[in-house]
Amino acid sequence: MRFSMLPQVLGRMFKKPVTNKFPAKYTPSSTTKFMENVSNGTAKMNPPIVTPDHFRGKICYDKEKCIGCKLCIKVCPTEAIEFKEDEKKIRIFLARCCFCSQCNDICPVSCLSMSNEFLLADTDKYSKDLIVE
Amino acid sequence: MTRDQHKTPEEILQSYQNAFSQNISESRIERHITGMKKTEFVHIWIHINRSVFKEGLKHLFQFDECPHFAVTSGYDINDNIDLIYHFSIYHGFPHKELSINFKVTLPKSDPTIETITDLFPGALISEQEKQEMLGVKVKDIPTNKRIFISDDFPTNVFPWRRDETGPQKFVKNLHEVEQ
Amino acid sequence: MSPVTKTTFQLPIGPIHPALKEPVAFQFEIDGERIVDVSVALGHVHRAIEWAGTKRNPIQVLYLAERICGICSYCHPMAFSLAVERIADIEVPEHAQYLRVIHGELERICSHILWAGVAAHEIGFDSVLFLTWEIREKVLDLTEYLCGNRITKGITMIGGVRRDITPEMYPKIHETLQYLKDRFEKLRHVFLDDKTFIMRSKGCGILTKEEALKLAAVGPTARASGVKKDVRLDQSYFAYGDLDFDYVTPDVLTGEVNGDVYDRIIVRLLEIKQSISLIEQCLEHMPSGAIVSEPKIAKLLAKLKTVNGEGIGRMEAPRGEVFHYVKMNANEHIYSWKVRAPTYSNIMPWIPMLKGQQIADIPIVAASTDPCMSCTNRVTVIENKNSFALDKEELHQQSIQKSRRLNA
Repeated sequence: MRFSMLPQVLGRMFKKPVTNKFPAKYTPSSTTKFMENVSNGTAKMNPPIVTPDHFRGKICYDKEKCIGCKLCIKVCPTEAIEFKEDEKKIRIFLARCCFCSQCNDICPVSCLSMSNEFLLADTDKYSKDLIVE
Repeated sequence: MTRDQHKTPEEILQSYQNAFSQNISESRIERHITGMKKTEFVHIWIHINRSVFKEGLKHLFQFDECPHFAVTSGYDINDNIDLIYHFSIYHGFPHKELSINFKVTLPKSDPTIETITDLFPGALISEQEKQEMLGVKVKDIPTNKRIFISDDFPTNVFPWRRDETGPQKFVKNLHEVEQ
Repeated sequence: MSPVTKTTFQLPIGPIHPALKEPVAFQFEIDGERIVDVSVALGHVHRAIEWAGTKRNPIQVLYLAERICGICSYCHPMAFSLAVERIADIEVPEHAQYLRVIHGELERICSHILWAGVAAHEIGFDSVLFLTWEIREKVLDLTEYLCGNRITKGITMIGGVRRDITPEMYPKIHETLQYLKDRFEKLRHVFLDDKTFIMRSKGCGILTKEEALKLAAVGPTARASGVKKDVRLDQSYFAYGDLDFDYVTPDVLTGEVNGDVYDRIIVRLLEIKQSISLIEQCLEHMPSGAIVSEPKIAKLLAKLKTVNGEGIGRMEAPRGEVFHYVKMNANEHIYSWKVRAPTYSNIMPWIPMLKGQQIADIPIVAASTDPCMSCTNRVTVIENKNSFALDKEELHQQSIQKSRRLNA
């Protein structure tokens, strides 16, 4: 059968495309300008697909509950967690975090959890947005 | 076909003890079970002397005409280098495959061993890897090229070793930040 | 290599390569369009992972192992975990064993569908690429729902798994499996009945049964040549000993075994069907129980610090047998670790497969063994004194031109 894909291809011309057009239908020529326009309200951003529950996004740290046992540091595969000696609390560098959530599992007081934020790009590895403490 | 007559692990080990009595320093059979029906699988470990190593491999052909060669692993410990050759026989019969592992100890003063590529052509990449990573010299190997390390890496540094010929000088901790 | 005579040219292809997933350097000796001899050199993405593993404790090594390969990112930590469980004598609960089977088979489905798209792309059939990858998106959505992430699943733990699949999640799994079953017939029709595929792949890149046995080929590459080698059946791990399935060789569908590219397509498509049936069997007979043998990880780490011994873990990845050897020495870090990915056993069989083929067949034959990542490359053809470079686009175009020539 020579043209076995022909029914598929013709059928697709009349259906909605499968790709979700996030953030905009066509790539903006300047991303920073586009983000400014979105915050002004002059441009609209298509939302991304909703993430399921228990998605492993940016880490959230509850400082009061932490007891300074250092178990999370022992288990982190990328050495992304640093201990603050004076306060007995931790600092997490998102630039090195691999989102495995192993620290969540081992913490004895459950002070760490994963949110569903995943839009974390930045230009500086050690900027304020990328350090959780 | 010899493959159809399955010997039990004890018989295989016994036949090795009979053939190479002095040259086997230790051996063990490990049995593990898995699943709800408690299917069993077996690993056989044999520590064989370097001088009868090749005959030991040829002895394997008595049980299976085409044993499957997986890989060679190795490490260095004190003054010796241990190489472990991993084989398996009786593949193709459900739940009957046995893993056989041969361990050979080489002293660091004379780390030579014979090649097995005449019996197992697929072992070429493994042997080249041991040559460059641990400093083992394989006799009669078909090609002496380096396989994983680039050619401009110094020839007297062996990455897997823990003694003075190890790669300590070449390690850079990239994440140490200048404070 | 034999000395070059006046009628043969030397053609280096590599290290970063058109249809290949790992950078590999080939040297072809060609006579006109036919390949006369091949030699292979490796090592271009050597990352010293085994050395890095000796500086980490077993739980950190799990995540290091996950990043050895993107597509088989489930098999490497699982095989490592099998090896450590055998050293430390940890018994995995039965519920966890069944869960492990489900995740492994989901990964096999994703990988084979990805491969199907890549193989079609190498032939020049881009619409099939988009069709198959759209199906794959649904399966990846299911993986994200079950594990939290699409590719690096992070679901392995020594002694079990990290997340449970509760009965509320079953409807979503059944819905995805039904979607796959509906689309499977379409995939099968396109791949196995279409004239272009048959012309490009039958008789191409043949690997005979004796060569496959001698060179220790593994996985679908070996099964397509008629060798019955499958770690899930030979030496069962997890819950495969309880499930009902058989070796997949091409004579199940066509009745004969040729060992060419067409047979490898058949084996992989039939394995997708087998995986769907295995997942359904697991969901039906799932026992209840714990998901991990030791839920307190600090206690597990303390236990692993005291064990001494060596162990091996073998698993059937989508590409073949993955093999891990671990030695622990009563220390916090592991002492020695050896990883053997299945592609390294499947590289030696390229030499007999490529002899006698045309240059335009190199992408499809190399892609049919399903090597592990996809990269682009520059091919240099040296003809007398003039050398000109063919880059990935041109090699790909050559492959498409051949399809058009055959169709015309």
